[in-house]
Order: sequence, then C-alpha cells, then structure tokens
Amino acid sequence: MQATFTSFYFLCFYAGVLIIYYLIPKKLQWAFLLTASTAYYLLTGNGILILYPVGACLAAYGGIRLMTWAEKPAIRRWILVAVAGLLLGGLCLLKYADSGLLAPLGVSFYTLTVLGYVIDVYHGIAEPQKNFLKLALYGLYFPAILSGPVLRYREDGEQFFQPHPFDYRQVTMGLQRMVWGLFKTLVISERMNLVVNTVYGDWRSYPGIYIWLATACFAFQLYTNFSGCMDIALGMSQTFGLKLPENFRTPFFSKTIAEYWRRWHITLGVWMKEYVFYPLLRTGVFARLGKELKKKAGKKRGKQLTTFAAMLALWFTVGLWHGGDWKYIIGSGLLHWAYITAGELLAPFFKKGMERLGIAYSSRPVEVCRMLRTFLLVNIGFVFFRADSVGAAAGMLKQAVGVWNPHVLLDGSVFTLGLDVIESVIALVSLLILLAVSLLQQRGSVREMIERQRLPLRFIIWYALLFYTILLGYYGPGYSAVEFIYQGF
Amino acid sequence: MTREKVFETLNEVFRDVFDDESIVVEEETTADDIEDWDSLEHINLVAAVEQELGVKFTMGQVVTMKNVGEMVDIILAQIGE
Repeated sequence: MQATFTSFYFLCFYAGVLIIYYLIPKKLQWAFLLTASTAYYLLTGNGILILYPVGACLAAYGGIRLMTWAEKPAIRRWILVAVAGLLLGGLCLLKYADSGLLAPLGVSFYTLTVLGYVIDVYHGIAEPQKNFLKLALYGLYFPAILSGPVLRYREDGEQFFQPHPFDYRQVTMGLQRMVWGLFKTLVISERMNLVVNTVYGDWRSYPGIYIWLATACFAFQLYTNFSGCMDIALGMSQTFGLKLPENFRTPFFSKTIAEYWRRWHITLGVWMKEYVFYPLLRTGVFARLGKELKKKAGKKRGKQLTTFAAMLALWFTVGLWHGGDWKYIIGSGLLHWAYITAGELLAPFFKKGMERLGIAYSSRPVEVCRMLRTFLLVNIGFVFFRADSVGAAAGMLKQAVGVWNPHVLLDGSVFTLGLDVIESVIALVSLLILLAVSLLQQRGSVREMIERQRLPLRFIIWYALLFYTILLGYYGPGYSAVEFIYQGF
Repeated sequence: MTREKVFETLNEVFRDVFDDESIVVEEETTADDIEDWDSLEHINLVAAVEQELGVKFTMGQVVTMKNVGEMVDIILAQIGE
C-alpha cells in the first residue's frame, strides 16, 4: 500500500477502518485506531522503521513518568533535557546527518508533536498520560503522521480516548472535506506539477516569464497539495469524531509576510513560537541584550531590535526544519526573516508616504496590492525551495528579471510546458473554483453554507465535485498522486 | 509586600511596556482590555515584571494566567505577603 492519502488502496483501507470503528464497542475505539495506525505504518513499507516513532513515544513516556515521580525541579529539568536531546538527536541523525539510515515516515512531524507534549508536561500544563498505548496512539495516529498537523496534547489529546458514537452529520461533513482535499491534490496540484517540472528541470531553456509562471504554478502546487492533504487528514479525523487543529487559512490572501505565517502551516508556526521563540526571548542572554539595546537605541527601537535578533534564530530553525540544505534555510527561513524585519522597519514610511499622496491605507485596492506584493515575496522564497540549489535559484531569479519574453504567453508556447490547451483550461477553471471557494471561506464554513441549501442543490454540488475530481483528477503511474510534497520533511 | 503595593508596581510596569500612561490594571484586567497586549508583548511584559519584582514565572504560568489578578497571586506566592 502506498502511504499517500490519494492512493486507491489507502482509501479502501480507510473505508474499512471507518466501518469497523463504529461497529466495535466505543471503549475500544482508541485501541482500534492505534492498531490501524500501526497497520498503516507497517503496510506502507515502513516495517522495521516503526521502531523510531515507537521509540520516540517510549522516550516521551519514560520522561513524563519520571517527571511525575521526581519532585525536585533540577531533576525534572534534567529529565526534560535528556528526552529533548533524544528526540532532537534522533531527528537530526535521521534527517540531516549523512548517516545512511533510512528516515522513517513522518519523523519531522511526530517529533514535534511528542516533544511539545513532553515540554507541556514539564511546565505542568498538560496531563501526564499514564497509559503508554494511549501516548503511542497520539504519536502514531495515521491521518496526522504523514504531514501533520502538529498536534497539541493539552488541546486535542484527551478526545482520542473518549467514546465517539456514530454522528451522521460529522461523518458526512468529514467525507465532504475529504472530497475537497482530493479535488485540490488530484485536479490542481498534479497539473501544476507538470509545468513546474518542465521549467525547473531545465531552467536555462526557460527564462523570463516562464520562470514567473512556473513559480506561481509551484506556489499553487504546494498549497493545494499540502492544504489538500490537511483537508483529507482533518476530514478523516472528523469522520472519527476527532477535531484536529487547522493548518491553513487561505494564506495567499495575507497582506504581510507575518500574517502569511499565521495562515500557512499554522501548527508549525505556533509550535516554533511557543517552544523556540518565546523561551529564547526569556533567556538571560536576550534579557541582557534587550537592556543593552534599549540603552543604546531607545526603548521602542531597543525592544524591536531584540525581537529581530530572537526572530533570526527562530527563522533559522524554521528553515532548518524544512531541510538541512541552504536552499531551505534561506527559502523558508532567513529570507522570511528579512521580509518581516524590513516590513516592520519600512511600514511607518509607507504609511506616511501614502498619507501624503492621499491614499487610504486600508482601502480595498491598496489591500489587494499588498496581497499581491506578499504573494510575490513568498514566490521568491519558493524559487529557493523548489530549485535544486541556492546557485540554481539565484540563476533562475537572474533569468526571471533579465529576459523579457511576454510574447510566449500569446504565441502558444506556454502550452508546450506539459499542459495543452484543454488541460490548461481545466487547470484554470479549477483554480477559479478554488478562488471562489477561498473567497467564500472568508465568510465562514463553506460546507455549512452548502448544508443550508435545498437537498437537490446540495446533492448536485457534492456529486458534481466528486465526479469532477474522479474524471479530471490526474493519476500518475500506479494511479497514485505524486507523494505529498511535505511528507519528505 | 501587600497586594495593593504589587498592583501599584504592576501599573508602572504596564505603563512602561505598553507606552500608555492611562493604564490602570485591576484584578480582572485581561489582554482584551489593553490594545497592544498580544502574545509577543505578553512575553515582554512577563520579562519586565520578572525584572522589576525579582520573581520568575514558569512557562506554564506564562501561558495559563488568565488575568492580572492571577499574575498577582503568583507574585505574592513567590515573594510572600
């Protein structure tokens, strides 16, 4: 069985799990989910590698049991350091070191989920779990292990172990969300992938507008792939009666980079803020730095500069989490740090300039311009993210601005990138559907809006989406979508 | 230190952190009552309170304290009445 949620066998596996989940006694539901999660891990060819996530859960379990037993703060601290060292050491060894070890599925995600939980227990804000198997379910839960969301036990942990009676509405709504996720990944992401591969695979032959186009395609490929995967994971969980944290809130509508990161991969951002950024700001080093800077640069500026310094460490970590290569450290890390600091430093000047010109900063046209600017900045980061290396990314950026060839949009050359005229129309229509739904989402849950319609209309909408996805979904070799991009992280 | 005295000190710290001389904190004051009190300023505020009053909050307390009254409870528990 392939690990991806869009593979036919996975969907059969899920259907079987769902049926059995509601047939067995409610008390056994969590144990069954653990069994299913273990089976999923083993069946996806990860066999012996399951020992890594199980080992991580064991380390966490041992740590929290010892913490409950030890009363002295110093000892508790040492236990935390030991567990964090084990978990992060494992992550680094499997992900960054050229150790020849095969990385297990979801290592970047379960490590954060489990480590966050141990830290919360240390701080006394999460209940220490007494049952190892329950903790193992939390670490191995199959909808979330592949590519998140990163879970937070103190908010979503206990629900896993409660009885969940069959709820028709929750199950249908969950299934509907899964169809939407499949539409995003199979219809949009897969098509974008063709264009991206053509241009990024041979970028020297595709300068100028091709690079702009392919990078925008990559932005939508990554977004529909990752957020579609989340729709499937959260939809699946909803059918089990479980509510997982949201990971995306239409991020391309963000007006600033800081806002973008509150709407893109939200659970990673929250994790980094809570377990890296804030603790760092509260260390003695930063307290002293803050004092010094306030003396030298004034109160407000001093505080700002201290925050920027801590943010540098934060963004380095975010980049590093995506991968050990500099293209990730720059593309999803340091570049965004530069954007945010520059944005904060320049914002007052922008506002003043606009005032002088008599343009209202909060007017709709200005907001749309700010969204487009943010999207453009994010795309520059994506060039690094997707290119083979930092050197290639720099070369591509140079060619993107150095060559002026908008005629390729008109003479049919764009239809040679992997999508012919008909395929391009399908892609465009699908992107417009995505845009329309995203706009509606600004006003609330679209599924609830559809729920309020008359039965025939509801029926038509959902079946139209389902058949649209089945008919126009792009199935690669072996009838499975390209692996979820984020699962490699 | 009395509860009143702690509130007095906190008033000054809040005014300094949020740059607003009109702030008067009470038992029930929360982040919703003060415009700039977001999660980052919360960390700055906690650091300032720690320095001013010579106390140390645990990270658990930092995230769970609901209002200024609870902050004062923690402070008093540490420095004694």
